[in-house]
Amino acid sequence: MTTATPITHIVVVGGGSAGWLTAGRIAAQHQCATRKNIKVTLIESPNVPIIGVGEGTWPTMRSTLIALGISETTFIKECDATFKQGAKFAKWTTGEEHDFYYHPLMLPQGFSQTNLGPYWQTVAPELNESFSHAVCVQEAICEAGCAPKSIRHAEFAGTANYAYHLDAGKFTAFLTKYCTEKLGVHHVLADVNRVESSNNGDIKALHTEQGVTVEGDLFVDCTGFKSMLLGEHYKVPFIPCDDVLFIDRALAVHVPYDTPQSPIASHTISTAQDAGWIWDIGLQSRRGVGHVYSSRHQSKDDAYARLDTYVRQTSTLNGIDGIKVKDITIQSGHRQRFWQNNCVAVGLAAGFLEPLEASALVLVELSASMIAEQLPANRAVMDIVAKRFNDTFSYRWQRIIDFLKLHYMLSKREDSAFWRDNRDSHTIPDSLKELLALWQYHPPSDKDFTSNNEVFPAASYQYVLYGMGFTSDLGAHQQWVNADFAKQQLMQNRKARGMAVEKLPKHRELINKIHQFGLQAV
Amino acid sequence: MTHMVAINNKQHADLKVTDDALSLSANQHLVPVVVSELNKLVVHYPVVITKFDDSGQFGLSALLGFEEKENLFWQQGEWDAVYIPAQFERLPFYVGTEAQSADSSNRVLCIDMDNASVSEEKGTPLFDNTGEPSNYLLEKQQILAQLLDGETQNQRFIAALQQHNLITPFTLDITFENESKTSITGLYTIDEDKLAALSADAIADLHAQHMLQSIYTLIASNAQIYALIDKKNKANKNADAWFQTTN
Repeated sequence: MTTATPITHIVVVGGGSAGWLTAGRIAAQHQCATRKNIKVTLIESPNVPIIGVGEGTWPTMRSTLIALGISETTFIKECDATFKQGAKFAKWTTGEEHDFYYHPLMLPQGFSQTNLGPYWQTVAPELNESFSHAVCVQEAICEAGCAPKSIRHAEFAGTANYAYHLDAGKFTAFLTKYCTEKLGVHHVLADVNRVESSNNGDIKALHTEQGVTVEGDLFVDCTGFKSMLLGEHYKVPFIPCDDVLFIDRALAVHVPYDTPQSPIASHTISTAQDAGWIWDIGLQSRRGVGHVYSSRHQSKDDAYARLDTYVRQTSTLNGIDGIKVKDITIQSGHRQRFWQNNCVAVGLAAGFLEPLEASALVLVELSASMIAEQLPANRAVMDIVAKRFNDTFSYRWQRIIDFLKLHYMLSKREDSAFWRDNRDSHTIPDSLKELLALWQYHPPSDKDFTSNNEVFPAASYQYVLYGMGFTSDLGAHQQWVNADFAKQQLMQNRKARGMAVEKLPKHRELINKIHQFGLQAV
Repeated sequence: MTHMVAINNKQHADLKVTDDALSLSANQHLVPVVVSELNKLVVHYPVVITKFDDSGQFGLSALLGFEEKENLFWQQGEWDAVYIPAQFERLPFYVGTEAQSADSSNRVLCIDMDNASVSEEKGTPLFDNTGEPSNYLLEKQQILAQLLDGETQNQRFIAALQQHNLITPFTLDITFENESKTSITGLYTIDEDKLAALSADAIADLHAQHMLQSIYTLIASNAQIYALIDKKNKANKNADAWFQTTN
């Protein structure tokens, strides 16, 4: 390939959610179904099972679905999807019975005009309301079991901001059909067994066991943990972060609802355990529950017993004996680079982190949109795009690692080595230490985050920090507190909270109505 | 409360209805309407597209006021317009269903016995001496039939609008003469730009289905919002006058 050769054929390898989201996003952006300048081919092994990562998404999934032209009603119906309004972290701070806090998906009241953190901190003792409850409507909505919208809201609109919980297997099947039928993605079922290189080290073509050869200009590696192109072929090193985040195993089960009309939680529930935590995600037809843990701190048998207890406590099931338990090994970390020559990795092939803040799918979406929107016109400019992509995503991975670690290091739990080890200064990245040093004396604000590529806004840090009992020593710097305005904002939130809970339907009720009537497009 | 019973000429031979049947129901700012009455509605009312509370499905409504329970056409117990929407005109009658067997049912004419207008003492009788329905009852039956047919017609009309992406949301921001302001959301109407951009085939198709005229009538009715604002301004002045004379 000469340097001026235009990029016209993008080949995605791997048919999981990463592969289809990336192929679909590129095909939609470049209108592959109607215009023929760009061709997208997805090669998928007919034999490799899909790992269903991340049944939790971010609100970004709404823009992704809109970009792909997918109807929200169809998506909800086909993918067993429900509405997610954030996460509830139980027993993370002290481990006591009523210890919990929320990380909602909405900014604190009046966030663009003021920072309510310092005011809340000063009035918290008398107010007796958690930070997220005092400044945001969403905790109340979730606790009441309500949906973020009503049947009268148009698709993708709502009273409260929201993301989704979805069945990754159904989502992939849905995307396969949609991307091939509506977006013009070519689908090849074959096992890649040889990579053919050009003189400059680029990938020229992929050969398959079935005898098909696929040439291309840009190859997207979505082959999961295998990382066939970036890892195996280009040998780009894997940077583990298990010194910071200790989780390395997961046991996952599907838990049926007690009755088909049981309430559905509208948030991810994450309950801390002795050596990890248990996720609990409510889909329409079942719950997805799993225990991620550190095998350095806990045996598989103990993890099994904890999961068993949790399922007993939260359902009428008599434990998990007899239910299929998936045993997953997790390697936390990411590739040193994500884009090498004419190959870019997306999804697990790029890296993996525990699903604490549902970062897996959002990284896929961010990667897919950057590739689609900044698709290099020809080989000559590809290296520039690759460099920018690498800088952007190295930064983003680091920020996510920091943010996940924040949940662990703020814990006050003393009851097990796992929690104590998590607070060991050697396990905390310097970048995170710096932020916490700053926040000892001033409240976290948007001004502390200067990059365009932030993944978590300052508000998210506030929810976790204040949720876990962190306080800043504001000392002489009382300029942080504008009491009159802040008081007014808290009042407004209280009013909005009451109205939202009164007017919004229960989550299950809305899901039923969507099946019966559908949401309107406008 | 409503207490609905199926009407028959034996049990209800002496039943009468006075003409204030709608006084109990008049206080609403939106009333569901059907396509077949658009030509008459356009003379007085802005007709908008709204969503039903329980299903989120689109329907047609006449706008009667600017806030919940405000009906500017209901003045001192009188309807201040020549044409009254069928949904009000039918009162106190309803269409009910009566089960024939496990899998079939019949439409039956019902009356709300709890409506204050219904009695055996005064008003227009439902049946004549021979037990035949009076002209009054026949007229009400016709209105109910119009509403019943209207449901299907409305659904077809809405489906055609959706098929061509012609429904668009709008917000009504109004400042009245006395400087009070209101903002009404949850209203939808026809997207005139999209309508203008429809292909000749699409227009011909809508015309063949007798929907083109309804579309333009609905758009024309939007101008009645000015008349409604005028009514509101007058109502405000009356209220001000009241407060000035009593204070």
